[in-house]
Amino acid sequence: MKNTIRQVFHSPKFLVGFIIFVAILLLTIIYPIFNPGNPLQQIGLGTFAPPGTYVSLYDAVTTGTSTFRLDDAEANRLAQVLTDDDRISMVNWLTAMDVDVSGLDISDTEALLEVWFANYDSTARPEGMTNAQRNYYVRLNNNLLSMSTAESLTVTQPDDEGEPEEVAEISDTDYVNVNDVANVITLPLGTDNFGRDVLKELVSAIGTSLLIGLVAGCIATFIGLLLGLLSGYVGGVLDDIVMFITNIFTVIPSFVLLILINYSIGQENRGAMVVALVIGLTSWTWTTRSVRSQVISLRNRDHVNLSKLSGHSLVRIVLTDILPYIASYVVMAFILQISSAILSEAQLSLLGLGPKTTEVPTLGLMMNWAMLYSAHLGGKWWAYFPVIGVIALISFSLNLMNTGLDQVFNPTLRD
Amino acid sequence: MKIRKLLSLLLALTMLLSVAGVASAETAVTDLPRNETLYFGGQQWGTVNSWNPVGTNQNNAMGTTTNPSGSRTIMFETLYMYNLLDGSMVPLLADGDPVWAEDQTSVTVTLNDAAIWSDGTDVTSADVVRTWEISLQLNNTAGANYSPFIESIEAVDDLTFTINLTTNEAGQPVNPLKVEDFLVATFVAQAAWLDTLEERNNGDTVAMLNDEALDAPYTGPYGPYLSNDQLVAFVRNDNYWGQDESMWGSLPVPKYIAHTIYADNAQTEVAFRQGEIDVGQIFVPNVQDLWEEEGLPVSGYMLEEPYGICLTMPTAWYNLNNPILQDATLRKAIAIAVDYDAIIENAITNQSPTFEEVPRSCMNPTEVEQALYDHEAVADLQWTGNDIEGAIAMLEEAGYVDVDGDGYRETPDGEKITLTAVCPNGWTDWQAAIELVAAAGQNIGIEITTLYPESSTYSTVYSNPNQTEYDIFMQSPDGAGPSQPWGRIRQFMSSDFVGLENNFSGNYGQYSNERIDEILALIPITTDEEELTALYTEAVEIYLTEVPSFSLMYRPQFFHFVNESVWTNFPYQDDGTNIPPTDCTDGYGIAALYNLQLVEG
Repeated sequence: MKNTIRQVFHSPKFLVGFIIFVAILLLTIIYPIFNPGNPLQQIGLGTFAPPGTYVSLYDAVTTGTSTFRLDDAEANRLAQVLTDDDRISMVNWLTAMDVDVSGLDISDTEALLEVWFANYDSTARPEGMTNAQRNYYVRLNNNLLSMSTAESLTVTQPDDEGEPEEVAEISDTDYVNVNDVANVITLPLGTDNFGRDVLKELVSAIGTSLLIGLVAGCIATFIGLLLGLLSGYVGGVLDDIVMFITNIFTVIPSFVLLILINYSIGQENRGAMVVALVIGLTSWTWTTRSVRSQVISLRNRDHVNLSKLSGHSLVRIVLTDILPYIASYVVMAFILQISSAILSEAQLSLLGLGPKTTEVPTLGLMMNWAMLYSAHLGGKWWAYFPVIGVIALISFSLNLMNTGLDQVFNPTLRD
Repeated sequence: MKIRKLLSLLLALTMLLSVAGVASAETAVTDLPRNETLYFGGQQWGTVNSWNPVGTNQNNAMGTTTNPSGSRTIMFETLYMYNLLDGSMVPLLADGDPVWAEDQTSVTVTLNDAAIWSDGTDVTSADVVRTWEISLQLNNTAGANYSPFIESIEAVDDLTFTINLTTNEAGQPVNPLKVEDFLVATFVAQAAWLDTLEERNNGDTVAMLNDEALDAPYTGPYGPYLSNDQLVAFVRNDNYWGQDESMWGSLPVPKYIAHTIYADNAQTEVAFRQGEIDVGQIFVPNVQDLWEEEGLPVSGYMLEEPYGICLTMPTAWYNLNNPILQDATLRKAIAIAVDYDAIIENAITNQSPTFEEVPRSCMNPTEVEQALYDHEAVADLQWTGNDIEGAIAMLEEAGYVDVDGDGYRETPDGEKITLTAVCPNGWTDWQAAIELVAAAGQNIGIEITTLYPESSTYSTVYSNPNQTEYDIFMQSPDGAGPSQPWGRIRQFMSSDFVGLENNFSGNYGQYSNERIDEILALIPITTDEEELTALYTEAVEIYLTEVPSFSLMYRPQFFHFVNESVWTNFPYQDDGTNIPPTDCTDGYGIAALYNLQLVEG
């Protein structure tokens, strides 16, 4: 046994897969310790806040400041509001309204703004301009108007009589150290459409999906093993019956079966474990067939016949004389079952047939909601891409482990 | 051997032909010249069943949609067009305003003598009378909706007819407002064709309702052109009577009107982004990104959120068939625990005013309706949501505690509470809102699970007056119209709908209250403004105390987003045209079709 394990861990493929898998597993265990709380809690109002660090503006106002005089500060500030494209568009508008712009240097912000404010009229309808384009100019104009040119801003709060009372004055050279602000939140993967922390949700979803995979894998492997052993070893009518059923299940695409079963169970009954059960019950056929053929090749070996002659019971023969010889094969099949169960859950949830959504996050549900809210169309990559990456990584690591085991145990592949 | 060769050759040939067949079917869809076709989105789901102006279940969104907020008049026409911007009724087939008798028991309407059918014959008052008679005979939507309010319709002469209203014991009309609904909502069909319809179906009601009616003459500017499982298209009738100076004075600009049939909202959104749809009534999450981030030529009716005029409020209804939900305390506790700000920000990405801005009542957010009730009198009853502590306190006081230790409360009698919250699958904004209702349940210890059945299953279940499957479910009451907000209060609470089979009309949760029924009977015949305010205020008070349902957000009932890749000059707010944002087709919104221009270049 010890030797076998050493052999397995000498396979580089298995080792890499194992390390990735353990790393993912550890993440699901360790991350919640550092960032506890309900992964489904809505922390943000509004959909899809991009990844980044968010600093409380409220707290920052009253945090002690340092002064920095930076040369490009004003240029940076301006560039946020007025891009080069905006400048060209402004000239286009002025030209369309027959304003003389000859000799106007568009990089000269002051001159440009002067001409713009002197001529811009939000109700004007330049010839050939669509409403969408006119709206663009209204927004641009509003941005330009709200752009602050003063050197300092005043923050006020209403006093007892409701009159504004100055609380702080902020100069354009004031900076605060992020470490000093009372409330700072870092969202490495932003928020989803419900305003939940995607990373926290993802970690929790990995846990759920692994559990679904494990449960489904166990069920499928158990059924497959049991039927395969029985039909292979006993043979005869039992073999015919089992193979008849297995063949029927093989020719029906199991995913279609999954969809139909899940649909008919109804959403209110579809917890994560029910989905795992359904996946397990529909994916055992392949294991049955391979176990059966292995058992058939084993059942006439000398040591099995010897056991039979010694009067050992069927159960004992199967457990001690047959099972150990196919154990490595079953472990490999089990690993693949886990991997395919995780994928099945993701596929089902993407179709809206996954576990009900209020209780636990799963990888498929995260993708389902991201898709419903057009994250893929709107470039909100953080809501779905990490999920896809994790699913790929899990199946990759499991498959790598499987190939590694195959190399160790399969005599035809042994170096 | 030879036979095998021949067979394989045949097989290859069939495959080739079928591929060619599919290819040619696809070209048929794109056959319409792009710069003469206005593409719509978000209306037509699935193939058209019929073109029958007096039928039911036509599934013909572009051709036969009727609604008191504005019927879709591109093919069949109504007498008047409702303009929800100012509440006015613009004459369409009618000529001039309706003339009311002094005691409001009858109203006389004159038809426009320029109006003709697509077969060239004149539109006469006999057509109106015959359409009404057949509606009664078939008990179709128009017949069922208006027969309690209209006694009879009589022709005075070829162009004039009188509608006699049903009166109560005191000789007062039951509800004149519903007759105004009738004038803006109901299509006129041709009398001669209705005779044909009756003849060819041997007077069989069901067969008449389901007749495909491709031969039905119409008065509108467009007629059927193409209909299959991918696309439905209408072509302009260049002999349209409306080019007469007494009506529009010209033909509508696009020669074709087309609606590609998409599978769902997401697919529609993709087509809309690519400019394959010019105008669409679809929910696009974070729609502002389309123009702000991606620079697409897309705009809404309004420059700012909510981008359209909010006229209705998608509402969660409690099913009172469930004995547990008959306790108003539980109903209110759940309602005040829901985080409406999150619904508005997340589920519909800010395309609604909040409940701080427009406090909840039975009224939509328009100024006209908001002015109808006394805000101060009910201020204590209104809630803005996310009041978890308040809800828990209410429940504790009423004896809702967790007896069996499963983390969820039981009723004061110790009965388990498990509620389902339901809306149709694929209705993105409603699904997200329902999720947040369930989350509120979690927060106050009431077990609520979400359920998203297919839309067809959903409507079969919620319209059944005896259903016990859905405990909290979504449905929108009517938006604007001449009879609002009376009609909406009726939809929320009137016992008229209790026990009604196939109830798609209102009070889906089977609530009943005698005082509400009295108020509903009084409002239409009350003219004194103070009295009216008192009645409306009392209705709102009852609604907010009893909580038979609770609104989750405000929504534009009709709205549109336009992609100006091909067409431009769609109506927008304050553009001086007074055309409502009703998707260029509904009610007076159809006037937009006469102003469209092609984008230059």
